[in-house]
Amino acid sequence: MKCRICNREALEKYCELHEKAYRNIVQKYDSWKRAMDVSWKEYLNEIAKNPYTGSWAKEVAEQLLKNEDR
Amino acid sequence: MEKYTLIITEKPDAAQRIAQALDSKGKPKKVEENGVPYFLAHRNRKLVVVPALGHLYTVAHERGRRNYYPVFNFKWVPRHLAERGAKQIRTWIETISKLANDAEDFIAACDYDIEGSLIGYCILKYGCENKEGVAKRMKFSTLTKSELEKAYDGPLSQLDFALIEAGKTRHEVDWLYGVNLSRALTSAARRWSGKYATLSTGRVQGPTLKFLIGRERVIRSFVPTPYWEIRAEVEIKKSTYEVEYERKRIEKRAEAEAVVKACTDKTGEIKKVDMREFHQKPPTPFDIGALQTEAYSLFRYTPRRTMGIAQRLYLDALISYPRTSSQKLPPVINYKNILKALSKEPAYKKLASKLLEKEELKPREGVKEDPAHPAVYPTGNLPERTLSDPEKNVWDLVVKRFMAVFGETAIKQGVKVSLEVNGHNFFLRGRQVLKEGWMQFYKPYVKAEEVLLPPIKEGETVRFKRVICDDKFTNPPPRYNPSSLLKKMDEYGIGTKATRADIIGTLYNRRYITEERIVVTDLGFDIIDILSNYAPRVISVKLTRELEKKMEQIQSNSEKRENILLEAVQQLKPQLEQLKEKEEPIGEVLSKAIKRVRMQERIIGNCPNCGTGKLMILYSRKTRKRFIGCTNYFKGICSTSFPLPQKGTAKPMGKNCGSCGWPLVRVQIKGRRPWRLCFNPDCPLKEERKKRNEMQNLQPGSPRKIL
Ligand SMILES: [Zn+2]
Ligand SMILES: [Zn+2]
Ligand SMILES: [Zn+2]
Repeated sequence: MKCRICNREALEKYCELHEKAYRNIVQKYDSWKRAMDVSWKEYLNEIAKNPYTGSWAKEVAEQLLKNEDR
Repeated sequence: MEKYTLIITEKPDAAQRIAQALDSKGKPKKVEENGVPYFLAHRNRKLVVVPALGHLYTVAHERGRRNYYPVFNFKWVPRHLAERGAKQIRTWIETISKLANDAEDFIAACDYDIEGSLIGYCILKYGCENKEGVAKRMKFSTLTKSELEKAYDGPLSQLDFALIEAGKTRHEVDWLYGVNLSRALTSAARRWSGKYATLSTGRVQGPTLKFLIGRERVIRSFVPTPYWEIRAEVEIKKSTYEVEYERKRIEKRAEAEAVVKACTDKTGEIKKVDMREFHQKPPTPFDIGALQTEAYSLFRYTPRRTMGIAQRLYLDALISYPRTSSQKLPPVINYKNILKALSKEPAYKKLASKLLEKEELKPREGVKEDPAHPAVYPTGNLPERTLSDPEKNVWDLVVKRFMAVFGETAIKQGVKVSLEVNGHNFFLRGRQVLKEGWMQFYKPYVKAEEVLLPPIKEGETVRFKRVICDDKFTNPPPRYNPSSLLKKMDEYGIGTKATRADIIGTLYNRRYITEERIVVTDLGFDIIDILSNYAPRVISVKLTRELEKKMEQIQSNSEKRENILLEAVQQLKPQLEQLKEKEEPIGEVLSKAIKRVRMQERIIGNCPNCGTGKLMILYSRKTRKRFIGCTNYFKGICSTSFPLPQKGTAKPMGKNCGSCGWPLVRVQIKGRRPWRLCFNPDCPLKEERKKRNEMQNLQPGSPRKIL
């Protein structure tokens, strides 16, 4: 299997690097929900444009957003 | 023919200084033979002072094919036999050998450290027919006349063999790692792609890169979370002050908003005024690492640059030997004399005199020691030539740091005022210097940063004019820069004070890292990926540090070169076998990585026409000509293209045209200066130039030179 983002070898959906970023995204959603009232999609939008978000996390967020739109 | 003493120095500048200091008239005669300078001087007898050119000898494989690995047999050879482009070394060694024939005595006067000792040893052994056993050694930490005379009059009776042994081992071990690992990577890539590309890694490079990758991974997968910070503007005695909320971070927006609402436009009360005095000792003298860190934070000089500048100042006898890890200043350097000499410089007169008035001069020292040299200090000599600005900066920094370490403890006062408003607490902080102490000697490199408060009493009321809530996000850990990386390497004990800055430079040159705030490139990631999969032991920070420690022990005769070489081979052998076995998959990954890097290097910038494509340097299959084209051409969207000159190399400059804003291309024809080329046919600069050229009757269309 190939990573949906970078074509490296993947375990499931993502390669090891993007998988780590994906897990970070899922985990941090809790803090965001506690901090302010945001939906999953709003959250993804926020982190996709946030300058502190790492490039791999950004790529995963953008990929997830594309899926949301479908 | 008059017999003489042959004195060998590390570099030509040092030879001149030493000859000048030792010649009884201070006027040695300079001779040049085949481009090799040396100096004739007279003291109690005739002296010939000849410089090396850094290392003249190096480690090379003993026999065998060029690109074969593993290789564990090596010997020391003249550098020109092992390295391309080192032709000059041959005549250099020949000249020294000729001078050695008629010499009666030999003195090694290279810098007193591992490298210098090894340089002198190799020349005496291989270039002067085994004189390493009879040669004497001059030991000095500055190139001042008085110290050089002392070092000559009372030299060490023999070479410092423990240092030499340590140096030899280090070079040999580094060679074993570097040559084998680099050959393994290069040969894997070539086997896969059939193309030759030099890939390299080394004993310290690998662990350093791995270490950077750890941070890079955290940054790249980082997801920020929001929080809020509250501050307020309060009015006290008609002046406005900023106060901070008791909780530094509020994790819920609703909570933060509630605080703002509760405090805005309310009157608060001063609950408590806390005053605290704290004492700040003078800084410790500079070891090389601390000097590099300070020069980076003050002037933004990379560690490598600072080392170069410090080296220059040392050769000018303005400061002591900079490659030191000592934070001590022994009294023998004579503090008083140095300060007296410095006070001849108007800028230092006042400060130096102030210190000279003291009954006793006692420096604050750090714990780090160096058996060979004291901490970096000014010699007291004043510049004989005009220093460049960077040289001036570093010299001034060294001088002021030297003076500061003799200063008294500075005393500061911190004030923390607690205010309460509607059940919430805020703090107002003040800071004041009560006694400047050492700080007066270290200006402008230390700032007082005072925040003065009006007289305030408990029970007084204040008005909260404005309460501000700032949106914030958590940040990823900072990227390393050359300076903080160097510090980290020092902390982890990998590399040596003399080599760390160069290792960082090599990582940049190999394109494993880029930017000042260090970013690891894909190629860097791939190299470490491969090594951690197939040869994890060679990039282990722990093993690297252990080996480093053992090599250091050779200097104190508590470890043997043979043991360490054996251990290095035992470490490397199984790892290299593993790499060899997996050459195919490794080659595939590396070849792809190299291809990606080469593609990246051809991308010039965004396409000005379609906006979504990238402009790239391309080659036409039909005409075999080089041109600039848009990547969207392949998708059939955009056919933007521009011609390029066909001669020489063309690379993106990474800068935009100052006139039209289009990306620039750097064109270089061998043996000529590079051009910067704006390929925009409508660039206003082009029109202007055309007109000018017509007027001056010059060759039209010749691109502008890069200065
Ligand atoms: Zn991936
Ligand atoms: Zn285009
Ligand atoms: Zn232009």
